[in-house]
Amino acid sequence: MNKATSPTDWKGQAMQSRIARRYASERRFKLFGLAAVLISGAFLAFLLITMVGNGARGFTYTHVAVPIDFKEMPLSIDTNRLGDDDADQMIANAGLADIVAFASEEALGSDAASLISENAWKEVRTAIKDDPQLLNGRHNFDLPTSSAVDIAAKTGAKSDVSATVQQLKSEGKLSTGIHWPFFRNADATDPAVAGIWGALKGSVLTILLAFIIAFPTGVLAALYLEEYAPKNRWTDLIEVSINNLAAVPSIIFGLLALAVFINWFGLCQASPLVGGLTLALMTMPVIVIAARNAIKAVPPSIRDAALGVGASPVQVVFHHVLPLALPGILTGTIIGMARALGETAPLLLIGMRAFIGDVPGGLCSPSTVLPMQIFLWSDEVDRGFVEKTSAAIIVLLFVLLSMNALAIYLRNKFEKRW
Amino acid sequence: MSDIIAPELKIIDPKMTAHNVNVFYGEKQAIKNVSIDVGTDLVTAFIGPSGCGKSTFLRSLNRMNDTVAGARVEGEIKLEGEDIYAPSMDVVQLRARVGMVFQKPNPFPKSIYDNVGYGPRIHGLAPSKADMDVIVERALTRAGLWDEVKDRLGESGTALSGGQQQRLCIARAIAVDPEVILMDEPCSALDPIATAKIEELIHDLRGKFAIVIVTHNMQQAARVSQRTAFFHLGTLVEYDKTTDIFTNPKQERTKDYITGRYG
Repeated sequence: MNKATSPTDWKGQAMQSRIARRYASERRFKLFGLAAVLISGAFLAFLLITMVGNGARGFTYTHVAVPIDFKEMPLSIDTNRLGDDDADQMIANAGLADIVAFASEEALGSDAASLISENAWKEVRTAIKDDPQLLNGRHNFDLPTSSAVDIAAKTGAKSDVSATVQQLKSEGKLSTGIHWPFFRNADATDPAVAGIWGALKGSVLTILLAFIIAFPTGVLAALYLEEYAPKNRWTDLIEVSINNLAAVPSIIFGLLALAVFINWFGLCQASPLVGGLTLALMTMPVIVIAARNAIKAVPPSIRDAALGVGASPVQVVFHHVLPLALPGILTGTIIGMARALGETAPLLLIGMRAFIGDVPGGLCSPSTVLPMQIFLWSDEVDRGFVEKTSAAIIVLLFVLLSMNALAIYLRNKFEKRW
Repeated sequence: MSDIIAPELKIIDPKMTAHNVNVFYGEKQAIKNVSIDVGTDLVTAFIGPSGCGKSTFLRSLNRMNDTVAGARVEGEIKLEGEDIYAPSMDVVQLRARVGMVFQKPNPFPKSIYDNVGYGPRIHGLAPSKADMDVIVERALTRAGLWDEVKDRLGESGTALSGGQQQRLCIARAIAVDPEVILMDEPCSALDPIATAKIEELIHDLRGKFAIVIVTHNMQQAARVSQRTAFFHLGTLVEYDKTTDIFTNPKQERTKDYITGRYG
C-alpha cells in the first residue's frame, strides 16, 4: 500500500504540525494588521497633538492696555464722514498712528515702538469708527503687542523683550484674548493683524464654483456614457481618456489653466473664478469615474421594472437610476472636492500664490486659498507666523472634516435599504 | 428537422399575432421563423428547455429586447392589428399596453403605494390623489395583495416577502390597465405556497387581460394555461390546446420533452 492510497491520518504528527502552522500564520497576520493600525493611529495622534498644541496659541493674541486721551491729542476729523468709503484713509491722514505711538510711549516707555504692533493704531481706528464718542475723552485701549512680545508672553521663551514682558505682566497690563482679526482679516506682513478669512473665503468661493461646474457636468457625462452612449471604439477611447485625466498630476492642470483661461480667454488672474475652473477640470474626471461606478451598481432589474411599466429612458434615469446611485456619486464627489480643497500646485501657476492683503470681494477679485496661505505663512521670517501657520492648518483640517462629515451624512440619508 | 414549422393553430379573436419572427443577438439567431397568435381571453404558456428562446420571444412582444445591445427582430408582430415594430409605434406606450412581470421580483425601493402608483403617475392616468388612491387599491385588490398591505402602504416594497413582492409587481403591471401581461417565469424564485397564490391569481386575471407566461415547470403550464407553445432550439415546435399538448402531442420532440426524455 503506497502513500496515496492509504487512508488519511487526520490525527497524525504531520497533520498536527500543519494545524499548528496554520494557527501561527493566522495569529501573525492579525498581529501585523493590528500593528499597522496602531502605527497609523500614532502618526495621526502625533499630527493632531502638535497641530493643536501649536495652533491653539495662534487663535489667541496678547494685548497691552494703553490709555489714550483724545482731549490732549485731538484727532481732527469730521465724525459725520465715518460711514464713508474713504473713512479709513481720512483717519490715517489725520495722524492717528502718531497719536497712538505717542500715547504708548507715555504709557510704556521709550521702547514702546518695539512692544506695540506697528498696526495697533488700526485697532484704535476700528474702535473709533464703531463709537465716535471715544474721541471726546480718555480711554483705555487694548492694543495688540508686537509678535516678539506676544511670543514671550504666551510661551515664556527667553528673548530681548522677556524682561519688559515680565514687568508688564506684574503690572497687570498684559491680557490674552481670542485673536478676532485672525478670523476677520486677510493676509498681512504683521502677525498681529494677519488673518485667515481672506484665504478661507477664497477657498470657499473657489470650491463652490468648482462644485457647481464639475458636479452637474461630471454626473451628466457619466449618465450619458452609461445609459445612452453606444458601446464602440469612440466610447472606449473616451473612457480611457477620462481614466487617464484622473491620474494627470495636478500641476499640469495649472499649466493648462494658465494657457487657456488666463492667456487665451483673458480671465482675471489669481481669482476664485480661474481657480474654480481649474479645480473643476481636475475634479471632473474623478466625479465621472465615481458616478459611473455608482450607476453601474444599480441593479438592472430596476431598469427592467421601470421600462416594463412604460417609463421612458429619461424617466428611468431620473426616477430610478440617479436616486439609487446618488449616495455613491456624492461620496465620490466630496472626496474629489476635498482633494481639490487641499490642492496647491495648479493654483500656484494661475497666480494665487501672490500676497493678497484684502478679503476677496467676489469671483474676480484677487484671492488666495487655505493651503496656499499655509504655504505662504510657513515661509515667513517673523516667528509670530509659526503659530498662525498651525492655526491655518487647523482651520483647513476643520473644513475638510466638515466636508467628510457632510459626505457621510448625505450617504446615510439617501441610502435605500434593500 | 430544425426547420419544422408548427402546425397553425387557429385562435379566434387574437390579441397579438406574430408572423415569421426571427430574433438575432449579433450574429447568433435566437428565434427562427416563429409564427404564433395569442388569444385575448386565454392564458398562453411558453414551455421548453433552457436556452430555447422562449424568454427572448416573450421579450420581443413588448420590445424589451430593444434594450439589449445587438438585438435585432425581423418579421411582424402585431398588437390589435398594429405593427409594434413600425416606426409610428411609441415603444413607451407599447410597454404600458403590454405589461411585464419578471423572473425575480423587482419592486422599486419605494413605498408599496408608490410602486403601484408609478405607472399611472408617469402616464398621467390619475389626475388627483383620490383617483390615484382608487387605482392603487383596485390594482392591489386584483393582485390579491390589498388585505395584506392595506395598513402599511407607506412601507418599502422591498420589505415584503418574496411572494408578496411578486404580487406587488403584478399589481404594478396591471395598475396601468394593460391589454397583455407577459410573465417571464414569475414563480421560479418562489416557494410552493407563494407559487400557488400566483397561479390562483393568474386564474383570476384570465379574461381581464391576455396573459402569456413562460415557465420551466410543465405542471404549472398544465395548471394555468389553455394554450401551450413548445419551443426548442429557437423554433416553435408545437402550439396547441394545453390538454392536447400534454395528453396527445403531435411532434416527437414535444413528447420527448414532456415525458422528461430531455430538458
